[in-house]
Amino acid sequence: MKNLRWVLFLFLLVNLSSVRVFAQSDYVLPYPSQMPGNKFYTINQVIEKISYFWYFGNFGKTYYYQKLSDKYLVEAKTLFEYKQYLLAYKSLLKSNRYFEKIYPYLLSAKKEGKDIFEKQKILKEASRKHIEELEKLKNNIPDKFEWTPEKDSPTNLNLWTTIDTSIAIRSKTL
Amino acid sequence: MKKLFLPVYFFTLFLFVIFSYLFTDQNLSYFHNIYTGFATNSRTIATMTYVIFVLLFFVFYYLILKYQKSINIKKLILLTSGILFLTYPAILSYDIFNYIATSKVLFFYRENPYILMPIEFVGDPLLIFTRAVNKVALYGPVWIKITGISFILGFDNYVLTLFNFKLLVILFYLGTIFLVSKISKNMKSVFLFALSPLIIMETLVSSHNDIVMMFFALLSFYFLIKKRIFLSLIFIIASILIKYSTIFLFPVFIYIILKTIRKESINWERVFFISALSMMLIFFLSFLREEIYPWYAIWFLVFSYLIPQRRNLLYLSNAISFGLLLSYAPFMFSGTYSGSTPLLKIILIFLPVLCLYLYLAVDRKFKFSKKLGTIKIS
Repeated sequence: MKNLRWVLFLFLLVNLSSVRVFAQSDYVLPYPSQMPGNKFYTINQVIEKISYFWYFGNFGKTYYYQKLSDKYLVEAKTLFEYKQYLLAYKSLLKSNRYFEKIYPYLLSAKKEGKDIFEKQKILKEASRKHIEELEKLKNNIPDKFEWTPEKDSPTNLNLWTTIDTSIAIRSKTL
Repeated sequence: MKKLFLPVYFFTLFLFVIFSYLFTDQNLSYFHNIYTGFATNSRTIATMTYVIFVLLFFVFYYLILKYQKSINIKKLILLTSGILFLTYPAILSYDIFNYIATSKVLFFYRENPYILMPIEFVGDPLLIFTRAVNKVALYGPVWIKITGISFILGFDNYVLTLFNFKLLVILFYLGTIFLVSKISKNMKSVFLFALSPLIIMETLVSSHNDIVMMFFALLSFYFLIKKRIFLSLIFIIASILIKYSTIFLFPVFIYIILKTIRKESINWERVFFISALSMMLIFFLSFLREEIYPWYAIWFLVFSYLIPQRRNLLYLSNAISFGLLLSYAPFMFSGTYSGSTPLLKIILIFLPVLCLYLYLAVDRKFKFSKKLGTIKIS
């Protein structure tokens, strides 16, 4: 009986002291690309616009927006880490915009008779990964931030609200 | 002999058509009723029969070349094409299925085949028997566009689509023969090219797109000879955008353009010789990318046969062709690409070349000593 108590105590100790980690996504986000300010950044953006036509078809468009949504999320994360809040905020909004476009294309593919099960699975994995990263980010940034450029009017950034919105957008696909 | 061998040749082709269907894939549901499993259950017999066919094709090739003056080449080519059109195309390679899969991604699913692999279209019946479904498009955009004709005219019927693809390749084969005759102005070249066992097997049976690439390359040379540089440029680019390999002809091409602009005379025999050598070099280097596939020989055979007066090149080309067709045997026999198969393949490819050069060396020595003997006597 005494042993059983010890086992129970240890069990509780291990479980309560450990950080609860929910099943993390295996989805791999890309490496950060060029950041705003880099001379190749604009060129990259032009390539991005042109490649819109290369990624034709509903699955193609899914790839395209998924890729961009990932890219801008990583960009936002990197910029947040460097406390470049305005740029990071803009990148996150961009990532959100692209993410929102993925699912309608998947639905169109389904209407065409394509099996979207696997693609939907990937999208869910991506959503989980995005949410995971966004939650981590939220812990490391202020709730609100007033960005004051040298010769311009300040901008109020509701960072936590934006992150919550971003999480909500991604949660819709889960 | 002359009158007898042609009917035997056609009869052999018919037998080969039947033989080809012994290789139908178990998973190819469209041919399920004629699936026998012979090629996988009786590997020894299948391999031996195949080797006998290869030997017979080379014997007929020799006889056709020997009696070419009394043969109606047009009838011979059309009958050969017509009979071999009926063959099962995947006896030696599954590439035709890959061509159809890629075409389907673009023309049926309306997606970019350079981004999406056929395997991503879950539930598609062709995934069961197509081999390279886990790869994005391997060939150039011009090829994919051309295959659209065959695919669309297949009206969603796989067997019809399959034979449409075969027909498409045969049409380019006939077009290439026409260009060979126009460029070489030599019937020997036409016979050499059109009835070459390797060209026949890889084009009329396996329907490889290499012939399409070489058709555009030759068309480009044809317009260069006619001094129509713009058209020839368009066609060399079209050729490159089929399978990329003809990019190695580009230096030769630029050299000819410069010569044409300078109004200098061009030695076309030398041009074709260099083209054959450069394509042969790429052919031999193809093992760096993957492995030496028999159908890659089409790249240099086209040029080798344009200049039959270059005896050594001609002998070498035919020896390699023979070795390449034999190189299918180890896989046919063992059913595996690993183990001793790769080594045996290499031995079989180069053995005829080695034999040829030993024979030539002995022959030369014999002729030389005979010549010396004649000098001594005189």
